[in-house]
Amino acid sequence: MRKLIVAMTATLMAFGGLALQASPESDRAAFEKYFTDRFKDTPKDDFINGVYSIDAASREQWVEIEEFAPYELSIDAGKAEFEKPFANGKGYGDCFENGGAVRGMYPYWDADRKEVITMELAINECREANGEEPIKYSKGKMADISAYMSFLSRGQLIEVVVPDDPDALAAYERGKEFYYRKRGQLNFSCFDCHGGGSGNLVRADKLSPALGHTSHFPVYRSKWGGMGTLHRRFGGCNRQVRAASFKSQSQIYRELEYFLTYMSNGLAFNGPGARK
Amino acid sequence: MGLVPESEALQMIKMTLAGLFSTLILISGCATATNEASTDPAAGDEFAAAWDAADAKRQEAAAVGYEWRDTSKMLKKAKTEAEAGNTEAAMKLVAKAHEESADAIEQEARESTLWQSRVPQ
Repeated sequence: MRKLIVAMTATLMAFGGLALQASPESDRAAFEKYFTDRFKDTPKDDFINGVYSIDAASREQWVEIEEFAPYELSIDAGKAEFEKPFANGKGYGDCFENGGAVRGMYPYWDADRKEVITMELAINECREANGEEPIKYSKGKMADISAYMSFLSRGQLIEVVVPDDPDALAAYERGKEFYYRKRGQLNFSCFDCHGGGSGNLVRADKLSPALGHTSHFPVYRSKWGGMGTLHRRFGGCNRQVRAASFKSQSQIYRELEYFLTYMSNGLAFNGPGARK
Repeated sequence: MGLVPESEALQMIKMTLAGLFSTLILISGCATATNEASTDPAAGDEFAAAWDAADAKRQEAAAVGYEWRDTSKMLKKAKTEAEAGNTEAAMKLVAKAHEESADAIEQEARESTLWQSRVPQ
């Protein structure tokens, strides 16, 4: 009996160890397979359309909404903001190459700073480097600039890299752990809703699959009546399960974005988007 | 001339005024008694200690990234209730906030290993 317990414990530890030590690439392959197996009728590339990739009825409405997309005003406002010179005469174009079509470069691991850099963080760092005040991260002007840059970047592939660097891997692992941990009074993990619960109804709405989740931000959300960034959504999700949320562009949300975007490697960025 | 002699009428007015006066004293006494209960230094100390303990527990949960959404609001509301003299309601809120934070800390400990079981393999 004792031998059996020892053997079982060793097996459990081995499996636990596997989960911890799995490479980002094996994580990604298993993640993708989970969703392509779960939604066999959805072509892999279509997961970037979120819940509309698995819900035909909602998709019809969404296609109609896209004809006069609610985020178009935000793209225009973002373009105007992007092209407006800073007080020192420089502008965003001096910080971002390719006229701002750089969504595909983010998020990335900065080995010197030992942290994840997101596009929204880079936008504010550009402002500050040119003597401008930083802007709020969740909505408003930030969402507009992000929407314009994402629009210019449509079609770029998601190609997040986790380099062979213990610090980068640790950041990836922290993001991964955050994603799978249950939290809040309702005791839900991100994956509970958008993995095991994806496709299920919450009241009248289907829960979207996590594959492709970060491709289409920022989004115009009917519930918000306006635009919001990915981190605004992270905060909203946390609060919905009655957990205290973290600040947009906090270290943990950037690491969550790093992990979750990596999971969609190979798919295309298609932001900004429109969601319920 | 009325139905009651003048001296008797005066007597009745005096008695009525005396009655009203004692009723006012009684009401005012009750009100004072209520205020005294709510500002009882011992009750105030008990609330302050319970509030501090609950807030410390909340901070403990926050330090491991597991504070729940409404705990902080509960503690704020408890202070408002206590200031309004609703000590019982205030203490209930403090107890609930304390319990939530203890649950959140347990949840964090539980999840430190359980999360791995949810990763697709």
